[in-house]
Amino acid sequence: MTLYHGARIALGIVFIYASYDKILHPAAFAKVIYNYQILPGELINLSAIFLPWLELTIGSLLIIGVWLPGSVFIGNILLIIFFCALMYNKARGLDISCGCFSTGTDDAPQSNLYLLRDFSFTVIAVYLFIKVFMSDFAHSR
Amino acid sequence: MTLNSGRIWIKTSRQVLFIALIVLVAGFCSNKLRSDKIPLVEDWSEKSNPVTSSGENLEISLAEAANLFKEKRSIFIDARSKEEYDAGRIKGAKSLPYKEADWKFVEAMAGVSENSSIITYCDGETCELSMELAVFLRNAGYKNVRVLSNGWSVWKQNGLPVDTGK
Repeated sequence: MTLYHGARIALGIVFIYASYDKILHPAAFAKVIYNYQILPGELINLSAIFLPWLELTIGSLLIIGVWLPGSVFIGNILLIIFFCALMYNKARGLDISCGCFSTGTDDAPQSNLYLLRDFSFTVIAVYLFIKVFMSDFAHSR
Repeated sequence: MTLNSGRIWIKTSRQVLFIALIVLVAGFCSNKLRSDKIPLVEDWSEKSNPVTSSGENLEISLAEAANLFKEKRSIFIDARSKEEYDAGRIKGAKSLPYKEADWKFVEAMAGVSENSSIITYCDGETCELSMELAVFLRNAGYKNVRVLSNGWSVWKQNGLPVDTGK
């Protein structure tokens, strides 16, 4: 198993794991999104319904290894959006639960930990992006 | 990058479109079929937001509340149950559980003037008791009522003075 395979599978597991609790509890996840106070009300439930399935789908694709350009691209976008949302709420001092891997409300939200965690996933995702997109450039030359 | 590098973006766009389609169908169907389904669009504007029906925002920041506390210029009112209040509260806070506000009100608010600065709080980001109690008190004639959102948690986490016991 190469680093490339390891990274794909690791990121895939992260996304699938992240989707699990949210798919089971859409109402609780909607509340988590609401607490972020970023999205307008009309988009909260739609995000709560579809975002977990997006995570599950790209997580599966990453592991199976099909449609990699699409899934790696979306994975990068998601992680960057999550990072910005966490950063934004840290900056304005909003002390909320991450809702990253569970829909529960943490007793003591730790935004630094959330940011660091998301950042490390983003590193993996960017690595995969370079691998997938650059190698394709090389092939098509 | 070569001229051909455009191809991967065409491929990527097509895959993103397919993935979006799968997600749309899966999300929509699963939500349609499950027993605990949620509406696609729901009005979130009035939930636990410390904004009154007339659009006034009652939220007070922790810094401001802590300042008023230090200068002893505000009365803190705990909107949670008496048990939770006994287990731990903002130092000097009065207990007025929102659920029992109707009949505990007179006793709890004895000696509090209608012009006093009042800060209500409960616990949890999504706790609505403090807001409901604030509206209740405003209707009862108290003009200066504010809400410290997630009050007990943020107070405790910031090491501000607390009390326990009955």
